[in-house]
Amino acid sequence: MKSFSLLAWLSLSLVAGAWTEHFTFEEISGPPGVDPQVGAMETLADGRIAVAFHRGDVMIYDPAAKTWSPFASGLQEPLGMLADKDGSLLVMQRAELTRLRDTNNDGSADEYETVFDDFGMSGNYHEFAYGPARDAQGNLYIVLGVASNGAPMAKEIRGEFSKIGKVDFVGMTTRETWGKNRGAAGRMYARVKWRGWVLKLSPDGKAMEPFASGFRSPNGIGFDAAGRLLITDNQGDWRPTSPLYDVKKGGFYGHPASLVWTPGWDGKDPLSIPVPQLDKMQTPAIGYFPQGELANSPTWPVVIPSGSFPANWTKQTLIGEMNQKNLVRVLEDKVDGTLQTALVPVFNGSPLGMGSNRLAFGKDGSLFVGKTQLSWAGGKGITRIKWNGKAFLSLDQIKAQKEGFALRFSQPLDPASLKTLAVSRHTYDYHQAYGAPKKDLTPLEVKNAKLSADGLTLTFEIGALKENYLHLIDMTGLLGKGGGKVLGNKAWYQVVKAPK
Amino acid sequence: MNWLTEYRIARRYFSAAKTPGSDLMKHVLFFFSAACVAASAAPDGAQLFTNNCSACHLLDQMVVGPSLAEIRGLYFGKQEDFLKWCVAPKKKRENVIEMPSMVHVGDEGLRAIYDHIMKVAEGVKAKKQDPGDPYKTSPTYMARPQVQRIFMPNAGPAAIAVALDETNSLCWDAGECRLRYAWTGGFIDGFPYWRGNGSSLATVVGTVKYTEAKSPFGTPGEGKFLGYTMKDKLPTFRYQIGAQTVTERFTPAKDGTGFQRTFTITPTPAAAMTLEFTAQEGVTITSDKGTLSGTKLTLAPADAATFTLTFSLK
Repeated sequence: MKSFSLLAWLSLSLVAGAWTEHFTFEEISGPPGVDPQVGAMETLADGRIAVAFHRGDVMIYDPAAKTWSPFASGLQEPLGMLADKDGSLLVMQRAELTRLRDTNNDGSADEYETVFDDFGMSGNYHEFAYGPARDAQGNLYIVLGVASNGAPMAKEIRGEFSKIGKVDFVGMTTRETWGKNRGAAGRMYARVKWRGWVLKLSPDGKAMEPFASGFRSPNGIGFDAAGRLLITDNQGDWRPTSPLYDVKKGGFYGHPASLVWTPGWDGKDPLSIPVPQLDKMQTPAIGYFPQGELANSPTWPVVIPSGSFPANWTKQTLIGEMNQKNLVRVLEDKVDGTLQTALVPVFNGSPLGMGSNRLAFGKDGSLFVGKTQLSWAGGKGITRIKWNGKAFLSLDQIKAQKEGFALRFSQPLDPASLKTLAVSRHTYDYHQAYGAPKKDLTPLEVKNAKLSADGLTLTFEIGALKENYLHLIDMTGLLGKGGGKVLGNKAWYQVVKAPK
Repeated sequence: MNWLTEYRIARRYFSAAKTPGSDLMKHVLFFFSAACVAASAAPDGAQLFTNNCSACHLLDQMVVGPSLAEIRGLYFGKQEDFLKWCVAPKKKRENVIEMPSMVHVGDEGLRAIYDHIMKVAEGVKAKKQDPGDPYKTSPTYMARPQVQRIFMPNAGPAAIAVALDETNSLCWDAGECRLRYAWTGGFIDGFPYWRGNGSSLATVVGTVKYTEAKSPFGTPGEGKFLGYTMKDKLPTFRYQIGAQTVTERFTPAKDGTGFQRTFTITPTPAAAMTLEFTAQEGVTITSDKGTLSGTKLTLAPADAATFTLTFSLK
């Protein structure tokens, strides 16, 4: 037992050492006297970093001088931020999308303009508001979380109440009888407008279009390098494990509570719709973060800019994670035009720690990671991560093939290590219950593992790929020609469409 | 035998059985899949704990739910009670989120989690309960005046709390575009809200002296909130009522307890208008313009462009 622990410790420290050989992890001291839980972060044109904190302060960090200056305060749970060309900051807070403007150029905002607040609030704690993301035309996208039956609604709400549901307004807003009613309310509910929806706003916020529905607690929204709107969501009811979505106009993304606000909805209680029917209505996830292994609570997506991390990672999407001590890198693939992804851990076994809520690349290519916990497990403050330019072995591309996968690495592999490759797959049930165990977990025999002449591309067969299955490719035992291990040692590939 | 060896044997039989669906093959397939299921179902308590529990339960400290040390204290020797709780949890503690059911883990898995908790929490003492707001005396949050959007009692969910100075504070409702109430004594305790994720309201520090029953413009739900501008750390709220833009700015009363409230209305109304405030004991309302009759203020169009009321609170 002792020798086993020693071995485990040794191998752990080897992995840990590996990330730290290539990246530095620097804790940035937060502004004094401010609760350092980060809700939003954005790099400004001049290279300073705007950070919005849990208690509503927006502070500007100057990485050169390592100083903080206050820009705004008093916001409610800001969870997203965008800098605009005119120097103003758009911040999403619980009640509204706000434009913060410094009109007298004294360095702090004197105008808090309400850009958009035409959505409901039930007063329930779980109704977080996320965004905005901006498309190439300047339109803004926000996404609204649904309420949790951990608490009722408040007596006073903002906006219209939906009568659709087993519990009426009095039942939904009475704390004393909530214990009796909460089961029938649905684990998460959307009794006020646009909860669970992505809303598309015109650049000035004056025009709104309900864009897509079916979200639960989507603490991550952003455009990828190809201009696709990516949204992450959290494991829970109707979410067997946390999903990644490529969001298109008119799509329904699986959590049914929001359906009551579909324009022209016929009044049916979404919870009375048979699950197979809901399943047919939903757009499948393009990736899954297996709970407890890769991510329990994925967060914000950002695009890796050139000159920051290894060149092969440029334009890939990086995603934060609250409860696991790693970030996640997205490797995309297309089968007959269908987008699907493999998700790979980044900085697992490094000093990063938990709570990575918001990500922003600085002008010097370093990555700022803002952490939070709220009342969950997580972290605090900001970690700055910088690559030292030294090459390392990583999985950089993946391609589904008829009978297996092709993997492209950054450095040639040692052919002798191919026999260690391990592959398995599982699926999940789509259901109302909170989360789901792995279903039909099956180890697969790896056959015909081969390297290309340059040693960079590994192909192998496992038999026909299975649609709606998450395929785990475990590269822990693979070695580079120089003996190094693969940093980011696992890839979870969700087969939406299997190559024929 | 591990799954791979078993798989290889199965494959050998596979090729031996020439006819697909032969009894031998069926038998082997069954044997193989049964072995796989058995292998994958052997519950690993530590892993199951990480997957299902670790986001809310830490070893020695309460986060969302109680610490493992506390759970061990509650359930040591009571595995079946633990299982019952996990399958059908209830709300037990004030201001704590109710745990979701863990029925999907299954009894066997829950038993493994139980064993894991009992093992790792043995001899561990739970840290003392969080002593309160670590930023209670932070100059950042103690500064006056102060504006803070937060869930407030007796207001809509889009509430804004404003500390005018050390003693005078008020609650403005951005959802309804109106003042809800004003109090004296102190500001708010936002920690019940901030300590978690907004599951509790902030509390008023002091005594509410004036509660406004409805908008002075008498137009419930018709106002559209436009935001606010900041001057001398105090907000000027802006909202739209019909074709008119109203601004409303609060400052502390020049002498005594209370506040001043300056309105502007643009464009200037075409006809005289009447605003109604709320009669309340101990509250004296005066206006620099128009005619105040009880709590009704009548303004000629020219006076409505800008006017200031003083609310003296006893």
